[in-house]
Amino acid sequence: MSEQNNSGSDRVVLNVDNLRIHYATPQGDVIAVSDISFELYEGETLGLVGESGCGKSTTAYGILQLVQPPGYIVHGSIEVEGTEVLDLTEEELRKFRWTRLSLIPQGAMNSLNPTMRVKNQIIDVIESHEGKANYESFKERLKVFLRKVRRPRRKESLRKYVGEWLRNLSVLLRYEPLKERIYDLFQQVGLPNRIFNMYPHELSGGMKQRVCIAMGVALHPTVVIADEATSALDVVVQRIVAQTLVEVKDEIGVSLIVIGHDMGLLAQIVDRIAVMYAGKIVEIAPVENVYANPLHPYTQLLIDSIPSIKERKPLKITEGITHDPRNPPSGCIFRLRCPFAWDHCALEEPSQITVEEKHEVACHLFDEQFEERRSNAFAAIANS
Amino acid sequence: MGSLSLNYIVRRLLVFFLTLWVAATLIFIIPRLAPGDPITAMVARMSQQAGFVENADLIIEGWKERFGLNDPVYVQYLRYMGNLLNFDLGLAMARFPSPVSQLVGRALPWTIGLVGIATLIFFTVGNLFGALLAWTKTPKLVKVLIPMSMIFTSIPPLLAGLLLVYIFGFLLNIFPQAYAYHHSFSKPEFTLDFIASVLHHGFLPAMAIVLVTFGYWALGMRGMMVTIEGEDYMILAQAKGLKPFYVLYRYMIRNAILPQMTALAVSIGTLVGGSVLVEVIFNYNGMGTLIFTAIREQDFNLIQGTSFILIVTSALAVLIIDLSYPLIDPRISLEGR
Repeated sequence: MSEQNNSGSDRVVLNVDNLRIHYATPQGDVIAVSDISFELYEGETLGLVGESGCGKSTTAYGILQLVQPPGYIVHGSIEVEGTEVLDLTEEELRKFRWTRLSLIPQGAMNSLNPTMRVKNQIIDVIESHEGKANYESFKERLKVFLRKVRRPRRKESLRKYVGEWLRNLSVLLRYEPLKERIYDLFQQVGLPNRIFNMYPHELSGGMKQRVCIAMGVALHPTVVIADEATSALDVVVQRIVAQTLVEVKDEIGVSLIVIGHDMGLLAQIVDRIAVMYAGKIVEIAPVENVYANPLHPYTQLLIDSIPSIKERKPLKITEGITHDPRNPPSGCIFRLRCPFAWDHCALEEPSQITVEEKHEVACHLFDEQFEERRSNAFAAIANS
Repeated sequence: MGSLSLNYIVRRLLVFFLTLWVAATLIFIIPRLAPGDPITAMVARMSQQAGFVENADLIIEGWKERFGLNDPVYVQYLRYMGNLLNFDLGLAMARFPSPVSQLVGRALPWTIGLVGIATLIFFTVGNLFGALLAWTKTPKLVKVLIPMSMIFTSIPPLLAGLLLVYIFGFLLNIFPQAYAYHHSFSKPEFTLDFIASVLHHGFLPAMAIVLVTFGYWALGMRGMMVTIEGEDYMILAQAKGLKPFYVLYRYMIRNAILPQMTALAVSIGTLVGGSVLVEVIFNYNGMGTLIFTAIREQDFNLIQGTSFILIVTSALAVLIIDLSYPLIDPRISLEGR
């Protein structure tokens, strides 16, 4: 299923622990992210999937400290390579952003400033973190210029000499700061150099998305978060852009969190998948396991809901009702829609149960004391 | 910055000339819709004052012939248009024999200077205040003070003018109450003293315009800034860890100012109209005072001429803003291709 099987090293680069995010509303707080914890390993691609409104984007923005009011972080810890993000001061956070944690935004169509050239939007992020590139390079260019400029040789045609002199001068004066570096970035994400001087409205959707990717990796951050980076594109471009994302990621060796609801696309590019439901991670596992052997009832329904081009089948996940996010049900969050729910589910909230290596699931069925119930339930499914 | 396309320039110029033609035609038609004619009216006024005018019919006929009022309307219209093309606005009737163009030429620079500088001030101050009102990092104190500075917005400019004259001209006596420059100068000259005098005299009228206007611009700008704050690129700008002040001017103000420029182009006509009253209050020797006296003296030629010149000036200002628009909004220039 997955073309990449390099789940990276075991070094944890991002550790989210017990993160809780609320949105304040007049009728009470909406629990968008409810005490979730996960780790991201170096060089790994983690997929975060779930329905709309399940809190996957809010999780991403929480990690980036970009939760917009009325949202706020209630408690939790976000550690990037040992640095606690929540403890940073405003200025520290500003410097931390993009150099360690970068974002490939959801709406790439509108994520570029319409009144700035593409080059300037990449230059500004480089310069605000690495200082002005202009002055240094002008000195260097002057050095090069002085080295190259020479007196005319004897019997040399004047035209040739003046031509060379003017060429040197134009290099000195017309130098674009960071041009080579941005060209390299363009090449990495498969963009033509000609867009260097263009405005965002002159680019296609796929190109804008690539600009965002190029921008996201420009400073070689530790973790890149792609927030539904491809959902606005058509399937072909989607696949190509997603592939570009993974290639760039492998090339510069960052860790990647891909947020999306397209299970098929995610299967192609991620190493591990975390399935979210109503602000909680219900199952987290290597991608092969999730698709071949989904454990949590929600994951099973979710994978069952992927449209097949071979057969038409009814959607099963509509059964049951979604709860009020201000007032979640007791016990298991999914019990109102779960086909296997029984009275114990309302009593106790399931904890993360490690079923096998790196495969965790939050469901009472996988508690050892309910093993019989599990085998009965799954047998019933297999028979139907 | 975007580039001006030829197509865009040509279309803007066409609109400009169309505006002028429509305005000139309206100015020609409207007085002729009223019953009677200026000559008869003038003679009637004279006979009212003198009790009796000898050979009134002959005078009326003679003058009608002299001004070509007996010709068919289209001949009059063509002659009027031809004169306009030569910038010949006729003679001022009440100040015979000064040509209208001479009176206008003397008054226009003062109005352009006054309204131009006032516009520059209220547009800058208004947008800056509006931007600060919306910016999340503005100090609390500033956010409290700015709305308080906008109390003048709800009063008409002529009242603001009277208030300023009363406080600063009469009570405190730190600014002159009238005229564009000190009476010790017999005519405009190019010395530092004269310029200082002009600035001193121009301060109150300019403030009268600025005080009542900048609040609208601040509120408009604030609204735009709030809209921009919700844009996707603002979240990315924040995620990029750019310096807050850079984000303010390069991402927010830069985008929020675009609709403000359009609004400015639209409001220039109103602005010039509003300054008429301010000029009258301060007895400022610009177009406003000229129009005012022309109306009082029922000088048709002067009314027509000054109205036309004000329309030309406004249309020209709009044209300049229109032509500079592609330079500030790169998306506009594509429209014409």
